[in-house]
Amino acid sequence: MSNDVAIRIKNLGKKYNIGKEKDDNFRATLVNLFKKSSTKDEEFWALKNVSFEVKKGDVIGIIGKNGAGKSTLLKILSQITKPTKGYVEINGRVASLLEVGTGFHSELTGRENIYLNGTILGMTRHEVKSKFDEIVDFSGVGKFIDTPVKQYSSGMHVRLAFAVAAHLEPEILLIDEVLAVGDVGFQKKCLGKMDEVSKSGRTILFVSHNMGAVASLCNRAILLHKGNLLNHGETTKIISQYFNSGQASYYFENDENDFSEKMHSVLTCAYVCSTNHEKKGKFYVNEDFKVCVEYEIIEEVDAPIVVSLRFFNEQGECVFLCLANEVQPKAKGKYIAECKIPKNFLNDGLLSVSVASATYYETNYVKNYFYKDVLMVEIIDVLHDNPMRYSYGGPFPGFIRPNLDFKVRSINSIK
Amino acid sequence: MEHKLVIDASNKSFLPDFKELYRYRDLFYTLAWRDFRVRYAQTTIGLLWAVLQPVVTLLILSLVFGRFVGVKTEVPHLLFTVAGTSIWTYFSYVMTNSGSSIIASQQMVKKIYFPRLIIPLSKAVVGFIDFGISLIIMMILMVYYGVTPSSNTWLAPVFILFGIVAALSIGIWLSALSVRFRDFQHVVPFMVQIGLYVTPIAYPAEFAIKQLPSWVSTLYFLNPMAGVIQGFRWSLFGGEAPGNLLFVSIFATVIIFILGISYFNNVQDLMADYV
Repeated sequence: MSNDVAIRIKNLGKKYNIGKEKDDNFRATLVNLFKKSSTKDEEFWALKNVSFEVKKGDVIGIIGKNGAGKSTLLKILSQITKPTKGYVEINGRVASLLEVGTGFHSELTGRENIYLNGTILGMTRHEVKSKFDEIVDFSGVGKFIDTPVKQYSSGMHVRLAFAVAAHLEPEILLIDEVLAVGDVGFQKKCLGKMDEVSKSGRTILFVSHNMGAVASLCNRAILLHKGNLLNHGETTKIISQYFNSGQASYYFENDENDFSEKMHSVLTCAYVCSTNHEKKGKFYVNEDFKVCVEYEIIEEVDAPIVVSLRFFNEQGECVFLCLANEVQPKAKGKYIAECKIPKNFLNDGLLSVSVASATYYETNYVKNYFYKDVLMVEIIDVLHDNPMRYSYGGPFPGFIRPNLDFKVRSINSIK
Repeated sequence: MEHKLVIDASNKSFLPDFKELYRYRDLFYTLAWRDFRVRYAQTTIGLLWAVLQPVVTLLILSLVFGRFVGVKTEVPHLLFTVAGTSIWTYFSYVMTNSGSSIIASQQMVKKIYFPRLIIPLSKAVVGFIDFGISLIIMMILMVYYGVTPSSNTWLAPVFILFGIVAALSIGIWLSALSVRFRDFQHVVPFMVQIGLYVTPIAYPAEFAIKQLPSWVSTLYFLNPMAGVIQGFRWSLFGGEAPGNLLFVSIFATVIIFILGISYFNNVQDLMADYV
């Protein structure tokens, strides 16, 4: 019975201490040694009591909102960090891809980096050597293989890195959104490679926000929420639960309080509302609505702090990105950024919205925050009395459904 | 072959998994070789740097201790000092680099698993460039001064090995400590600076022993490099054999080494959370 189990996880838990005063200073530790009742750190369980089994050959998608514990789970399974509680049993050789190009050194050539990265990922030099030509082929780097990678374009860099990773031959593969990199053509190639790997009967655990990729690659999925395992089962069922469970709704309040020092601005809340400020999550295609972001500037800088919104469809594809325009406030204080989404612009369907902010200096920018998929808005089709449809009742294809200036005039009128 | 891995939160072991370390030996070679390549890839005069640094240090030390202070040694002072600086330079280089190695490779530590001990260990190799160059300088000086190696020269590799272990043990401690307590990053340059004086590099160890009460001498030899350099020099040039105090150094090194890898092993599971 246990022979067909690839991964068995029992009561897995991971605790982080998030103290106000970090104990990474030597004096604090010494003081705490002698003081029995040390100032209590705030405990935070990134994973709580998670148990499940993965059968050999399963391709599992791990989904959930930001902070659900997806990455923590993957980090524990790939042995990067140790769990606080629980037990994991893995049958088979594991390889994890939490990032491509780990250990790449810009001074070294492509060839040297293939060996370096390959051995870091757990291959022997002999294994790398035997797959070397295939890797170079797959990457498409070609004649630049003996050029230092600092002269590569970022696309080439990523392709080479993924090529190495794609040629690992583990029995169990753990992947964290590495597919979010590179151009569309290369992403397709990557998905194809993953598909090929899964068809060869190997087990894959795949963390992703790209529901389209999860739906097409995975036969089963796991839904995590705030460290708890909400459900696991057949992929489509779990994905629809993710979309409908109200995990992401039309209102998001930021309850985090761990801000890094670099931030100039913090998110207070974000919501979707109608033009007369009624907060709700469903709108007709021919209805205007607004996405509002309330934030606070906590540090004054001499550069614009700009809020941006990204809209994704159910397949996880980005429909559009929009940056707040006109003059951006710089003084400390609370602000609200409102983005009006015009009617007859988006197609019907479920959209998730990511909220971000960055400070744009003249030559570079610094991220203040990025909250993925925190809002959900449903666009409902108008079937009746819709002059754009005539008598057509079927679905409209495409990301957007604009009402364009599309008129008919006569060009050879008969007098 | 069935490959089984168990991750158990309640499981703690004192020593690292040596079998696993051996399995990752290719990573050790590649990392060492990367450092090798990178160290001289960007500099225009490349290897010349590796020659210039030890030569200048040697000349300054010999000038101050040999000429100004007038330290008397059995072999010419320049030759006496080069034996000390060769192994000291190696030691301080390896200690510094392996000490900061985990923080320097935090990108890797956060994203991929491998036995973390490989990182500080791999730093032991690059230092051999400088060491080799110093040895060549020493041989040239021996020919120049007409000094023949003593009959104990076969013991020199033992002391070199002992020096490698000493450098790594302190490096391993520092690498693990500096992950938790960033303060330790500032301690290292300070240790190197002090070490240059409290180690018998440019003066014979007997100087220290004669001037100090015996318990302070014992303390002096708790510095592993005191024993290493004294022994190394004795194996090359002969003279009075190192006494019992040598064993203090050996003992100290072994203890620091075993406790170091044990502490490292204890911390390594959570390194990714701290870096």
